[in-house]
Amino acid sequence: MTKYHECSDCGRGTFYDKRRCGDCGNDAFRAREAGVGTVRATTTVHVTPDGVDEPLMLGLAVFGDARVIAQLDDDLSVGDSVRLEGEVTLRERGDEQFDGSRLVTVD
Amino acid sequence: MASSLPEGGASSPGVRVRGVGMTPFGSPADRSLPELCEQAAERALADASIDPGTVTSLHVGTMAAGPFNGCFGLANALAGSLGLNEPETRRIENTSATGASTLLDAINTSRANSSGTALVVCGEKMSEADTAASTELISRVAHPREYRHGVTLPALAGLVADRYLREYGGTRRDLARVAVKNHANALSNRYAHFRKEIEVSDVVESPPVAEPLRLYDCCPRSDGAAAVVLSEGDDDVQILACESAGGTHAVGDRTNPLWIDGVHAAGKAAYEAAGLAPKAIDIACLHDAFTILEWLELEALGFAERGGGWRLTRDGTTTVDGAFPVNPGGGLKARGHPLGATGLSQVIELVWQFRGDVPSERAVDGRYGLALSMAGFGNNAVCTIVGANQ
Repeated sequence: MTKYHECSDCGRGTFYDKRRCGDCGNDAFRAREAGVGTVRATTTVHVTPDGVDEPLMLGLAVFGDARVIAQLDDDLSVGDSVRLEGEVTLRERGDEQFDGSRLVTVD
Repeated sequence: MASSLPEGGASSPGVRVRGVGMTPFGSPADRSLPELCEQAAERALADASIDPGTVTSLHVGTMAAGPFNGCFGLANALAGSLGLNEPETRRIENTSATGASTLLDAINTSRANSSGTALVVCGEKMSEADTAASTELISRVAHPREYRHGVTLPALAGLVADRYLREYGGTRRDLARVAVKNHANALSNRYAHFRKEIEVSDVVESPPVAEPLRLYDCCPRSDGAAAVVLSEGDDDVQILACESAGGTHAVGDRTNPLWIDGVHAAGKAAYEAAGLAPKAIDIACLHDAFTILEWLELEALGFAERGGGWRLTRDGTTTVDGAFPVNPGGGLKARGHPLGATGLSQVIELVWQFRGDVPSERAVDGRYGLALSMAGFGNNAVCTIVGANQ
């Protein structure tokens, strides 16, 4: 999941699946490669839900005008350049497995 | 006594609060969820001095009675148990704003039938689920993409707090002062989960939960119930507005994660319905599930400028003896947060304040009070404005 949805009308970007654009209400999106973004906030979580290892490092990153909260691949800091990369297991709960991309440093 | 409309003129008539009642909030309660709800309801009915058989509608709120307690059909069980006479009956769920949404449902019914008597009963018994199970359950309110990454409500609060402290002027110690204030306020509240004074050092040295937030930045999981009776009568407190608004679902999808659009929209609608501006409000009960939320809500509701919520903590404005007291009953932080009951307990605190039913330690002078209850991390909010006749 290294792509985001760009509204085909107003151009607003979102990483979050939805039926219509939250800004203009249009119902068509184009898939766009997220490319390189910037970390805006981080947290280390010590009380995690089932199927997620503790401690859990999360970051809020911005790619153009699209923002996303995702797991951090390593010890990133606010201001770092990042990419969404890989397809790793984010969470494993009983028979359920959730795979996706983490935020990784851009060298 | 005739009701007096607030200055500015309300767009719809107020709804009378005839009686209120609560159980103590805490954990674990020695009663079952239905028993907690019965106790709160009977206290509210006694406070209203009405015969249960005259109740025309029953509105029951609980977020997770099914998963937490294996309890389904709670509203119908309560209608039978409390001696009500074939009332219109239903259950409402709106995650952590359940109590406020249930009150809103009862207000809408009262407005449609002004001769009726509505009984609102809201409760939660969270102690029957272990911490991991309830964290998992509550994390289901997040967007599915956030859920995949293990994002929980404390994690969202941690990210937002990290951003806030970097972008605006408040410090980690200022954030701790929110918890210190709300704990101090709860000392005189015999319904509060925590009646223990704490200091800034207790907060900043407590175990980390979602950095920079620590244990004492977070509300507890509580058991408890609250109830309200709405009907025409000679009571001196009325609800001038109760408005709900949805907001951006995923926190990661917000243009500015420090601006909760659902809270702003609910507040704006409530001010318009009551014919009041933020500066007319004397006292507020906000949804401080995490300390950072008290600042974000002060800003979204127009009590502080954007990025300026922390100043009201640092300069003492929001203490009980300050110019604008916030969370005099202890807030979610110290009164506790039994999910379904919380929104109603905020309004009950305002009713007690305006009736003069609180100890002098936390009594606030004023005429208008505001309660803000938030669902999820602000993807829905309910704003209620309560007025005392003077």
